[in-house]
Amino acid sequence: MSPNVPSWTGVAASLVLVLVAAGIARRGRLGVERDLLIASVRAFVQLVAVGAILSFLFLHAGVLGALLWMTAMVLVGGYEASRRAKGLPRALRSATLGIGIGAATTLGILLVFHVISTEPRVLVPVGGMVISGCMNIAAIVLRGLRTSAVEQRSQVEARLALGLGAREALAPLIRATVRMATIPAIDTTKVVGIISLPGAMTGLILAGVDPLTAIRYQIVVMYMLLAAGAVTALVTSRLAESALFDDAQRLRRMPAG
Amino acid sequence: MADLFTLEHVSLAVDGRMILEDISDHLHEGRCMAIVGPSGSGKSTLLRMLNRFEEPTAGRILLRGQPLPSLDVTELRRRVGLVAQRPTLLSETVRDELRVGAPTLDDAAARQLLARVALPPDYLDRRTDGLSGGEAQRVCLARALAVGPEVLLLDEPTSALDGTSADAVDQIVRDLVADGMTVVLVSHALERAAAVSDDVLVLRGGRLTARGRADEVNFPTAVLGQPDLAGPDSEQP
Repeated sequence: MSPNVPSWTGVAASLVLVLVAAGIARRGRLGVERDLLIASVRAFVQLVAVGAILSFLFLHAGVLGALLWMTAMVLVGGYEASRRAKGLPRALRSATLGIGIGAATTLGILLVFHVISTEPRVLVPVGGMVISGCMNIAAIVLRGLRTSAVEQRSQVEARLALGLGAREALAPLIRATVRMATIPAIDTTKVVGIISLPGAMTGLILAGVDPLTAIRYQIVVMYMLLAAGAVTALVTSRLAESALFDDAQRLRRMPAG
Repeated sequence: MADLFTLEHVSLAVDGRMILEDISDHLHEGRCMAIVGPSGSGKSTLLRMLNRFEEPTAGRILLRGQPLPSLDVTELRRRVGLVAQRPTLLSETVRDELRVGAPTLDDAAARQLLARVALPPDYLDRRTDGLSGGEAQRVCLARALAVGPEVLLLDEPTSALDGTSADAVDQIVRDLVADGMTVVLVSHALERAAAVSDDVLVLRGGRLTARGRADEVNFPTAVLGQPDLAGPDSEQP
C-alpha cells in the first residue's frame, strides 16, 4: 500500500500520545484518566474489528454483501434517529424510511450515471457517509417536529378549528423544521475547503491521491449529502406528520419535554 | 326552532375516569347556549366534542340529524367555528389573520367582519403583535366568522380579558345572536353567562345537573350554591 500509511509499529508508537493525554489528566487531577484509557482501547478494538469486517466484505461479499451492510446501517441509523423523539408516534418507521429513501435515491442516481462504481470498497464508505448524514437530518426533523407540535399545539388547533386539513395546519411547523434540519448541511457545503477539509478528500490525499483528483470525489460527496439530506428531511417529516394526527384530524397528545 | 346539535347519551372516559357521563340534550338554532360549571366539570371537553376535537367514548352527537363522524371533518369544522380561551394569532397582520381560513376574503368583506366585532376598518393593516388581549380575541372571533360557520363555539371567551374588554366581547356575542348566529359558549362565571345566553346547561362532575332558560332558573343559588364558580379552566382529558 501507500508509504503514507503507518505500520503497526507506528500505531504502537502512537500509544505515547495516549500516555501524554493521560499524564496531563493525572497531573491536573481531572479524573478522566480511566475514561481516556477505556476510550483509547475501545477505539482500537472497534476499528480493528470494522477493518477486518470491511476487508472481508471487500474481498468476498460482493455487491449483495455491501447492500446488506448498508441496510444494517440504515436500520441502526433509523433506530438512533428515532430515539431523539421519544413519544412521537411511529418515529422509528419515519426515520428508517426517511434515511433509507434518502440514501437509496442519491446512491441510485450516482450508480445509474456511473459516477461511482459498484465495488464494495466504494459503496460501503460512500454509503456510510450518506447514511450518517441522513441519520443526523432525520434526528433533527423528528426532534424538531415533536417539540414544535407540543409547544405550538394551540396554533395547530387554531388552524384545524378554521377547517384547515392536518397537513395545512402543520405546514408552518414542517417548513421551520425542515429548514432547521437542512441548514447545517448547506452551511457546511458553503465553507467546504475553506474552514474544513472534509473526510473523503483528506482520506484520499493521505492515501497518496493527487489533491485535484481527491476534490472531484469530495464534490460528488457534498452534492450527494445535500440531495440525500433534502430527501430524508422531506420523507421523514411527511411520514411523521401523518403519524401526528388521528383519523379525525386531531393532533395526538404527546408528553412534554 | 330547529335542532342544530343533538346529544344522545354522550359519555367520555379517559383511563377509567369519567370526564362526561350520559349527557343528552338539544341545542337550538339561532340561540345562545351557555355551558356552565366549576373547574373540571367537563364543560370545555363537551364543547370540543362539537367540532370533534374530542370524541365521545359512548353515545353520539348529531348535527342537523347527521352523526358527526359521518361528516367530512374539515367541512364540519368550517360549519362549526371554535374560538379558544386564549387568543392565538397566526399571522403578521390582521388582514392575513382573517384570511387563514378564508384565503379569498377581500378587503370589503374583511372590513365588514371587523365591524361585526366592533373594530375600526383601519385595523386591517395593523400588526397582530401590537393588539391588546381584547382586540386579539375579537380578531379571533372575526377570523372564525370569516369561514362562514353555522354555529360558533366559544371556550371561555372572556376569562383571559379585563372587565371592559370582556363586556365588549359579551356585547359582540349578543349582537351576533341577534343577527341569527347560533352560539355555544362555555363559562365558569354564571351571571356573565346568564346575561349573554338564552339557555343554560349546568355541568357538575361530568354530569348534566340542570338545564333551562337563562332568565327562568335561579342557577347560582339553587343549583350550585355560589354565584361565581372557581377560576377559569380549560379542562381536557
